[in-house]
Amino acid sequence: MIQIQDLHKVYRMGNVEVRALDGVTLDIEKGEFLGIMGASGSGKTTLLHMLGLLDTPSAGKIIVDDLDVLTLTDFEKTMFRLYKLGYVFQDYALVPDLTVMENVALPAMLRKDREENQIIDDSHTILKKIGLFDRKDHLPRELSGGQQQRVSIARAIVNKPDILFADEPCANLDSENSKMVLDLFREINEEMRQTIVMVSHEDWHKGYFHRIIRLGDGKVLSDGRA
Amino acid sequence: MGKKELKVAFLLALRSLQRGSRSSAILTVLIVAMCFTNMIFLPALFNGIGQSITQQVVDYEVGNVLVSPKSGDQYVSDVPATLDLINGMPGVERATAHFSKGATLKYRERVLGATVRAISPNDEKLVSPLYTKMVAGTYLGDGDTGEVIIGKPVAGDASIRQEDEFQPSLGGVRVGDSITIDYGNGYVKDYRVKGIYFTGWSQADSAVYITSTDMALVDPKSVDNADDITVKAKPGYSESFIKDELVQYGVTAKVQTTADLLSKSMGRALQSFAIINMVSLIVSIIITTVVLFIVITIKTLNSRRQIGILKAIGVDKEVIMHNYGFQVIILAVLGIVLGIILTSLLAVYMSFHPIVTPEWSATLYLTPLDLVTNSLILFGAAIVAGYVPAYQVSREDIQTAMRA
Repeated sequence: MIQIQDLHKVYRMGNVEVRALDGVTLDIEKGEFLGIMGASGSGKTTLLHMLGLLDTPSAGKIIVDDLDVLTLTDFEKTMFRLYKLGYVFQDYALVPDLTVMENVALPAMLRKDREENQIIDDSHTILKKIGLFDRKDHLPRELSGGQQQRVSIARAIVNKPDILFADEPCANLDSENSKMVLDLFREINEEMRQTIVMVSHEDWHKGYFHRIIRLGDGKVLSDGRA
Repeated sequence: MGKKELKVAFLLALRSLQRGSRSSAILTVLIVAMCFTNMIFLPALFNGIGQSITQQVVDYEVGNVLVSPKSGDQYVSDVPATLDLINGMPGVERATAHFSKGATLKYRERVLGATVRAISPNDEKLVSPLYTKMVAGTYLGDGDTGEVIIGKPVAGDASIRQEDEFQPSLGGVRVGDSITIDYGNGYVKDYRVKGIYFTGWSQADSAVYITSTDMALVDPKSVDNADDITVKAKPGYSESFIKDELVQYGVTAKVQTTADLLSKSMGRALQSFAIINMVSLIVSIIITTVVLFIVITIKTLNSRRQIGILKAIGVDKEVIMHNYGFQVIILAVLGIVLGIILTSLLAVYMSFHPIVTPEWSATLYLTPLDLVTNSLILFGAAIVAGYVPAYQVSREDIQTAMRA
C-alpha cells in the first residue's frame, strides 16, 4: 500500500547539517497496525510527517497505491490528505471554538461526495462508538484529555481514510486513558481493516502493534513483528 | 472555491467570533462604527450647512431665479411690465420686486443704520416664507402705509444694556411702538411697528420691511424700478428652465439662478468643505484599515498552530483565508450597521437641536446615497485589511505553522 524508497530529510541549522532521515526504505501493507518506535530525535515524527505529506523529504520516494505522492501539487496534496489520510496529534489539536460534533464533522463537510445528512449520521455513529455522543455539543475545553483525544480520533476517521497516522497520541494521557485510546485504535483496525501508522516511545504499546519499525539516527534499525 | 468550502469557512468564522474573545469583537465593531460615524458626520454637517444656506438664500434673498440690473445699470427698469411678463410664464409661481434704501432708524435714544426693503406683501408671501416667521404682531398687508415690520435683532431686547449687546439694536422695540426712519434724502417718517420677525438668516433679520406703496412716497423711482426681482418656480420646474425661459421671453436684465449665484459666492467655501471632508474620510479609512489589519494579524498569529492543524487534516488554504476574511466582513458589517444607526440617531437629534449661529442654522444632511457610498468604501477597506494578513498566513507551510 505504501512504499517508502530511500527517504532522506536533511535540515540545515546554520552551518550544521542534521540528517533527520537517512535512507529509510520500507513497505506498509493495507490493514497493518504499524508502530514506529525509537528514542527521542531518532526521526519518528519526521518520518510520520513525510508519510502524511505534512513535510517534504530532501530525497526519496513515497508511493501510495501506485501514486508517487511527492509529485502532487500543493492543492492535490491537500485533497489527498482530506480524502485518503487521517491524523491524530499528540496534543489532540481540536479547533477550540467548535463543538465536539463540529470538530468531528469538519473534514467530512469539505468532501464533495458527502451530503449533510450523511455527515451528521456518520459523525453521530462515530461519537457513539467512542462513547462521547452525549458530549457532542460541548466545547473541547469542557472535556478531559482522554476525551479530547478520542474526539481527535473520531475526526481522523470520519472520512474513512485509507491510512490513519497517529503521532504519540498517548503522550499527554495517563495510563488508563492511554489504554482506552489504544483499544480504540485496535478496534478501528480490526473492524474496519484500517491501516494505522503510529509513533510511540512507550514500550508497553508494543502489544497493540502488528509490526514495529525501530528508528535510530534517521535509519531503520529493526523491522519486525511485535 | 465551491459552496461547501465557503460554508465551512463561514462556519469557522462565525464560531470564532461567537466563542472567541467577545470583548475584542465588540471593541472592533465599535471602532468600525465610530470610524463610519466620523466619515459621514463632518460631510453631512457641511452638507447641512450648505443646504441651510442655500435654502435661506432662496427663501430670503434671491428666490429660485434672480433678475438684477445689467452691468452699468442701477436698477431693473420697467418693473410692472416685467413682472406681468414673468408672472405669465409657465413654471413661474410668482415674481416680486424689491426696492431698498439705506436709512437711519431712531427709537427713543437709539439710532441704528439699516436697509429698508420695500415689498408687495401678498406677492412676497408666494415667494418668501418671511410671513411665517413673525414672532410678534402681524405681517404687512398690501394696503398698509405708515407701518413697518422689523427683524428681532433690530428690535433688540430692553433687558440688555447697549454696551452689552452682541449687535446694535433699537433697544427693545415692541409691536405698536413708533420708530422714526430717516432716509437720508430728506424724507423722514414715523412708522408704527406692525410686527417683529426672526428667520435665522442674518441679512433678512437685520433689515426692515415696508410696503412698496410707502416706498413710492420715499422715492418715486421705486414705482417703475427695482433693485431686483426674485422669481419662485413652481414645483417640478428647474431653476435653469426658468432662467432660459426668462431670457427667451426677452427679459433684458441680468438673470441668474441660485446655483449661479452660490457657485460664485460660496465656491471657495464649498471647496474648503470638500478638502476637510476628504481628509476626514481618508483618516477614518486609514484608522479602520489599520485596526482591522491589527485585529486579524493578531488572530492569525495566535492561531498559526491551529491553521497548520487545519491544513494537515485537509482544509484548503483558501478556506482558511476566507475564514479570516469572513470574520472581517462580519465585524465590518456589524460596525457599519451600528455606524448607520448612530449617525441616524445623531441626525434625528440634530433635527430637533440644530447648530445655530448668528449667520445660519444647520442640521445633518444625510442621503441614502451617502450612507451606501461610505458603507461600500469602509467595507472595501475592511476586506483589504482582513484579507492581506489572512492571505499571508494561509500560504505558510504546514510545518512552520504547526511549530508556531
